[in-house]
Formats: sequence, structure tokens, C-alpha cells
Amino acid sequence: MRWKWVATLLLSWACLSLSDCAFAQVGDVAVVVNPENAASNLTLPEVRKLFAGEKRSWAGGLSVKLIVRSPGTHEREVLLKLLGISENEYKQYWASQVFRGEAQSEPLVLPSIGMLKEALGVYPGGVTLVHAQSIKPGMKVVKVNGRMPGEAGYPIH
Amino acid sequence: MFRIMIMVITLLLLSTMSLGQAAGSGDQETIRLLVQRVKELQEEVHVLEAAQSGSAVEAAQPTAQHEVAEQPTISSPSAATPPRLHELGGIQWRGFGEVTYKVLDQRQPELSTFGSTPGSSGNFYTGDFSLFLTSRINDKASVLSEITFSEQREQLFEVDLERVLFKYNYSDHLRMSFGRYQTGIGYYNTQYHGGRWFLTTVDRPLITEYTHQGGPLPTQAVGISTTGLIPSGKLGLNYILEYGSSDTNRPHLDGSPGGDDESNGNHVNIGLFARPDAIPGLQIGGSFYHDKISNVDVHDTGRFGQTIVNAHVIYVGHGVEFLNEGFLIRHTEQDGTLVFNMPAFYSQFSKRFGRTRPFFRYQYLNTNPNSVFEDILLRYGPSFGARYDLNDNFALKAQLDHTLRKGKPDLNGLQLQLTFAF
Repeated sequence: MRWKWVATLLLSWACLSLSDCAFAQVGDVAVVVNPENAASNLTLPEVRKLFAGEKRSWAGGLSVKLIVRSPGTHEREVLLKLLGISENEYKQYWASQVFRGEAQSEPLVLPSIGMLKEALGVYPGGVTLVHAQSIKPGMKVVKVNGRMPGEAGYPIH
Repeated sequence: MFRIMIMVITLLLLSTMSLGQAAGSGDQETIRLLVQRVKELQEEVHVLEAAQSGSAVEAAQPTAQHEVAEQPTISSPSAATPPRLHELGGIQWRGFGEVTYKVLDQRQPELSTFGSTPGSSGNFYTGDFSLFLTSRINDKASVLSEITFSEQREQLFEVDLERVLFKYNYSDHLRMSFGRYQTGIGYYNTQYHGGRWFLTTVDRPLITEYTHQGGPLPTQAVGISTTGLIPSGKLGLNYILEYGSSDTNRPHLDGSPGGDDESNGNHVNIGLFARPDAIPGLQIGGSFYHDKISNVDVHDTGRFGQTIVNAHVIYVGHGVEFLNEGFLIRHTEQDGTLVFNMPAFYSQFSKRFGRTRPFFRYQYLNTNPNSVFEDILLRYGPSFGARYDLNDNFALKAQLDHTLRKGKPDLNGLQLQLTFAF
């Protein structure tokens, strides 16, 4: 009878794991770039450097244009988590980056997904974070660590 | 049979629980998304209303013909969006100021106390008022300047062009600046410029104090500064290469009359630092600076080679700020045997708790009495206090200092500062 108990425990664990996976996938945030951008895969440190303004050029020399959501959105929370700073520190950080001459301007802040999509179309080097459930047709999603949002092990959520 | 029934019931219960959990989280997520969507629509309506009223005609309709990023109205209609640089005719600007009250337990003021007047142990001063201007020429090029109004003695102010730079970012591997810059000696002087709003503490560590306020390092220079990434994988190596003139005229830190014109020759500065992928926020590096200076206290015409070596270990992230820098300033007589080795270091730790950031700093600086830094000598001691951010534009700071000085009484001080950005 012992194998039945083992099977029960394994099945229970599987059920719980599946529910956890489903929960994690719900919060995944995609890295979205201009459709003409050749980038298809980035590592998590590269994404962090992009949004910290440390990586300022794409392969080929195209300048990076950061586009971010306004405070209070899921994408903004994930961005702050990615950088390991608070909202207040984020604002100070970017003011400091511009003041030091490390950046030409602060990231472009847009309130809606629709405006993000439009801005991405305008800037060839544009990059932003979009909640995986809000991805719209025409948006180019980049893999992170070789995984797409929703896949097990996707690191940004 | 009974055991099998229990097993099946357990399995069903667990499955139901997990499904319920998934469904519950799914509902919550749906509600959250709907609320978020409503907020987005409200914001879009605000943008459209602003556009209709004529104040943001182009804000709501970003097209290829209109560079939406440069339209301040896009981020301004919503109270939730953060303040950005102000823009005037393509020139972005920001201002930083401070009002500080400093009280010492000694009546002999030192120069670094700004507007101190002899005989007064405590006074207000406005320190530096900085106006920062930047203009984007294209994706790669920009111009940047920092104009500072500094308070001198008796409410007299002087205007200083702290920085004026033409910047060209060829790639991540080569970023060039031409003009007046802050020398890349170590971390602090590279990271922090005029606005004290950016500092956690009330003042800069003594070793990194501006030269024109009595600090020993050549903090500014005119010339060429280049920096960039070195292909190094996960190590994240960066370099700094600078060549220019850092000619400085230093007032005496102890308030004694006169000053030292170091008549510096052109300098070379080479820096290297790593920001490893494995620990975001960590920076380990160092720099090597060399130029030639005069020391009229020893020789009227003699020249000394000045070498400044720096090593630093910095961690800034997850609310923690841990800055550690060591310096060795070495002056070597060119036509003689005199050599002065002058060490310095500081260590600063702070941790954010909400809007409050308590900090602790310990600093040490030991200069030779026969060197050009005869007014500084041995100084060391702790500082501690806290910074409180009232909002994104105002911060209050309080700092207690205890400084031990060679041949002079210990110096205890309290500094209260209101610093602001606009």
C-alpha cells in the first residue's frame, strides 16, 4: 500500500506546483522592442543594464530609448524590483544620471499600453516592459534567458 | 478499501484546493487588470482633454513626425507620473539648492564651513545653488553645463561654471566628453557633482571636497574624458581615460590666510572598475592619476610629481548604500629626495527605511606638514545622522560630526540642511 501513499503525495505536489506555475505566469512581464530591432534574446543582466541606462546601444550602434509605464502599474513595480530600488530612489537615480551626463534624458513615461505601442513604433531603439497579458498584435517580444513570458523559468515577473 | 477511499478523498481535496487557489488568483488578477485598464483609460481621457484644451495638442497622438519623448505634456497631465526635466526651447534644465545651519563647538571657523564668520560658532549658509542645463543635439551628441552660485564669506556669492561638456557617445565602448569635467579619481568625485540634494550626507567626505573649498584632490579639470565598457562578459569591466589640465588654486582649509596655487601641469588619469553581473549594485575599482605641481612652501620653483592612487568597493542597491574608498597621495620632489606619502580613506554606510535614511560615515586624512597640504594635517573621526525625503523635491538632513585634529582641539559639529530640487 506504501506506493499508493507515495503516488498520492506526488500527485498532490504536482497539483500544487501546477497552480503555482499558473500563478507565476499570470505576473510575467515581457521585454518589448521596436519590430525592426534585430534583438531576439537578452540575458537578465542585460535587461537590468538596459533599464538602468548602463547599456545605451543595441548591437549595430542603434541608441536605446527607454519607455516605461507610470507609477502604480504592474510593469512599474516589476521594473523597480528588477533594479532593486524604490519609486523615490528610481526618480533620484534618473535625475542623477542626467545630471552626471550619463543619460540625455530620463526614460519616457507613458500611461497606457496603447501609447507604449505607438512610441515603440516611433523609436527604432525603443524598449519597454509590458505585462504579458497586455501584449498587443504587432509588439515584438524578446526572449529573456532564452525563455518567452509564460514559459517555466521566465525570470521577469 | 477504507485507505483507498481516504486516499481518493485527499487527492480530490488537494486538487480542489489547488484549482480554487488558481481560480481565486485568476479572479483577483482579472479584477486587478480591469482596475488597471480603467486607470489607463482615465489617464488617456486626461491626456485627450488636455490636448483638446490646446495645451498638449501633440501629446495624445504620437506619430513618426512628432517625437513624443520630447513632449513634456505626455507625462505631465497625470499626477501619478514623475516630474521630469523642465524644457525650454530644446534646453532641459533643473535646479538644486540648499539651506544649511551649522554649529560648531569651536569659535575658530574653517573654510569648509562656508559662510562662517570669525567669533560665531553657528550660522546659516546657502552653500551651492546649481543650475543644470542640457541639450540634446542628436542621439549620440549632447551639451551639458552646470552653473553654480556659491556662497563665500559675508553673503558674497561667486558664479562658477562647474562643468561644461560636449558629449559624444560613439558606442557603449567609447563615450567621449570634451570640456570642463570632474576628474574620475575614485567613485565619489565621478558620481556626485554640485547638487547636494543627491548626497545622502550633508557634505562630501573631506578627501573628496572640492578643491575650491579646500579639498586636497584636483576635483576638476579641462580636457578630454573618455569612458566605456570593456568586453569582459559577466565581469562588467569599464574604463576611464582622461587627459587635461587640472590647474588648481586651493584656499587653506583651516581658514589661515592665503592659499596654494599648485600650478598643476597636464594630468593623466586612468581608471578601471567592474560591475559584475552576479551582484547588481556592486562596483569594485580604482584609478591612477598623475601630474606635476608646485610647492612654494618648500621651493620657490621646485616641482613635485603628484600621483594619486585610489581603490574603492561600493555597493548601492536594495536600500543599502555602502561606500568605501582609499586614497594615497604621493608627492615626489623632481630635483631632490623629498617624498610625501599621504593616505586617506572614508567609509559610509546607510540604509533606507521608507523615506528615512540613517547614515554613518568614518573618515581619515593625514597630510604631511611640509607638503602643499600643510593646512590639513591629520583629521579623522565619525559622522552620523539621517536624511528624510519629504517628497521627490525636498529632503531634510541632520548630521553630527566629531573630528579629531592634530595639534588642535577636537571639532564637534551639528549640521541641519534643507535641500531641494526643482
